[in-house]
Amino acid sequence: MNRKRSRSGVSILELEIVAAKIRRNVLEICRGQGGYAAQGVALADIAATLYFDEMRPDGKGWFFDRFILSNGHDAIMTYGALAESGHYEMEDLKTINADGSWVDQSPIEGQPGFEITAGSLGQGPSQAAGLAWALRRQGSNARVHCLFSDGELQEGNVWEGAMFAGHQRLSNLCYIVDNNDMQASGHTRKIMSVEPVDEKFEAFGFKTRRIQGTSVADLLDAFEDARATTDKPFAMICDTKPWDGIDCLQKAQPLAHFTAKDAVKWDEGIAEIDAEIERLEAERTQ
Amino acid sequence: MSEILTKLEAADFINRSFKPLPRSYGDALVEAAKADSRIVALCADLVPPTETDRFRDELPHRFENVGIAEANMIGIAGGMARSGEIPFCHSFCAFIVKRALDQITMQAAYPKLPIKLVGFLPGVATILGVSHQAIEDVAILRAVPEMAIFEPSGPEYHAAMVRLALDWDGPVYLRMKRPETPPPPFEPRTLSIGKGVIRREGGDMTIISAGLCVAESLAAATTLGEEGIDARVVDMASIKPLDAALVLESAASSGAIITAENHSIVGGLGSAVAEVLADEGIGLPFKRIGVQDRFCEGGTTPYLMNQFGIDATAIADAARQVMRRKG
Repeated sequence: MNRKRSRSGVSILELEIVAAKIRRNVLEICRGQGGYAAQGVALADIAATLYFDEMRPDGKGWFFDRFILSNGHDAIMTYGALAESGHYEMEDLKTINADGSWVDQSPIEGQPGFEITAGSLGQGPSQAAGLAWALRRQGSNARVHCLFSDGELQEGNVWEGAMFAGHQRLSNLCYIVDNNDMQASGHTRKIMSVEPVDEKFEAFGFKTRRIQGTSVADLLDAFEDARATTDKPFAMICDTKPWDGIDCLQKAQPLAHFTAKDAVKWDEGIAEIDAEIERLEAERTQ
Repeated sequence: MSEILTKLEAADFINRSFKPLPRSYGDALVEAAKADSRIVALCADLVPPTETDRFRDELPHRFENVGIAEANMIGIAGGMARSGEIPFCHSFCAFIVKRALDQITMQAAYPKLPIKLVGFLPGVATILGVSHQAIEDVAILRAVPEMAIFEPSGPEYHAAMVRLALDWDGPVYLRMKRPETPPPPFEPRTLSIGKGVIRREGGDMTIISAGLCVAESLAAATTLGEEGIDARVVDMASIKPLDAALVLESAASSGAIITAENHSIVGGLGSAVAEVLADEGIGLPFKRIGVQDRFCEGGTTPYLMNQFGIDATAIADAARQVMRRKG
């Protein structure tokens, strides 16, 4: 029995199956030339919940609600999810980063799923706040979600965006913080701690929830809370761990920021995910 | 920090391999710091890709990773410099110039402090595309008073970059490129402020280039030589102050000039050379090779240099054009 109710009526189990398939897509995309696989794997539950439940369809094959990706490398999450939803072909995604490929590792606006050109860190929160402000002024009830990482919180620009969102009480805005304690040169806590993340956003006028970013139930709860919050913006602080959900690749943890193609055994990871998908699908048929 | 992580995170931004990369700039900075206790190093997260991992490990009390916070880094450097330190600040070219320009002008250039900005991933040279590319950084900083700009054409000049930065009395921008593969053995070579280096002599025309385009210019000159066009190649490692005397002498002796840079044609080396010629009232066959006032995309460096017309083929084509105009 599912404890939580999703927005669209889809079950937690179905979303967990989708998340596992997104993880599989992430590994399949990255195995050829390496990639930001650990992030994609850790964000798969957020992607499943966001793209397959929270964001409403627009009736024209896309989404009514909006998603802003602030950093470039987490694009792998969106690629994995939009391959599962049929918006991308896996064959195209496997050309990621090849010379001349239109699928960029750090995606540019105009590619499906990317409203801004990310990659220069910490700029998404302001743009998402501006988008939310405009939608509110235009009378739209679309919601705006913006994903960024804990490392990005080191950029002052993030807090300028949060200040505006809090001051403007942009209740149609939801920040999703990938709190994975990882940045290019090591652990965020050691390099330049940004904790306590939830208290910081509260001080900037947000309602916050701190959740396990790999728990679909937690995520459904938090998104519901965000929608029910009508007087201020919302920030969900999602604690995640690189490679979360794939035990055999956890030992690659120190290599996690960029996973070179020779750094891990992709086949083992994919086999583990396949077993998980099989287990979940068996549960569904019971 | 484990060695394997260092290898991997360096490769993350440079060539995506799982192999160790050379560190000629970073080693030179460590040696300079051991000889001069005023030198400190700051980095905005990108430690191995900016070759500062050895500095971090060997001189930890003089190294700070300030996190992903470039503007903050320049402000911190300003405070340190006002207290007598010589901060070398590290990030990628795109971020250290464009994310912190006001801090650079107000907290480094106007007070003429010895703050040394060190950027990596120059011009088009990154797989990460527009967000990580700096095709306008030279143009921007060339317009900032007190700022000097130096760009090495290869690892044999990396130690000289540290020396030039220390010799310049004020803020400096070093536009660095980490070699993507171990270079053949080389002897470190010196450079002087305001001086270009004639890398190849030739009397028919002159190619004035910098950074990654110097090797392309030399390759183009070899091709042109086989066609009977004898080109001088100047390595203008000192982009600001520019070696105006060498530009004028090259104009007088060869009668045609092209410039070649891993940068937009707007405001960079080509513009600087054109300004010198125009100010002296010199008209001659002239062409700027560079990114044609457009945004680029991610890819491997040779692919991008070809795609955006700044490789040896493009330089040789431009050289033939100016030779036809020269008549």
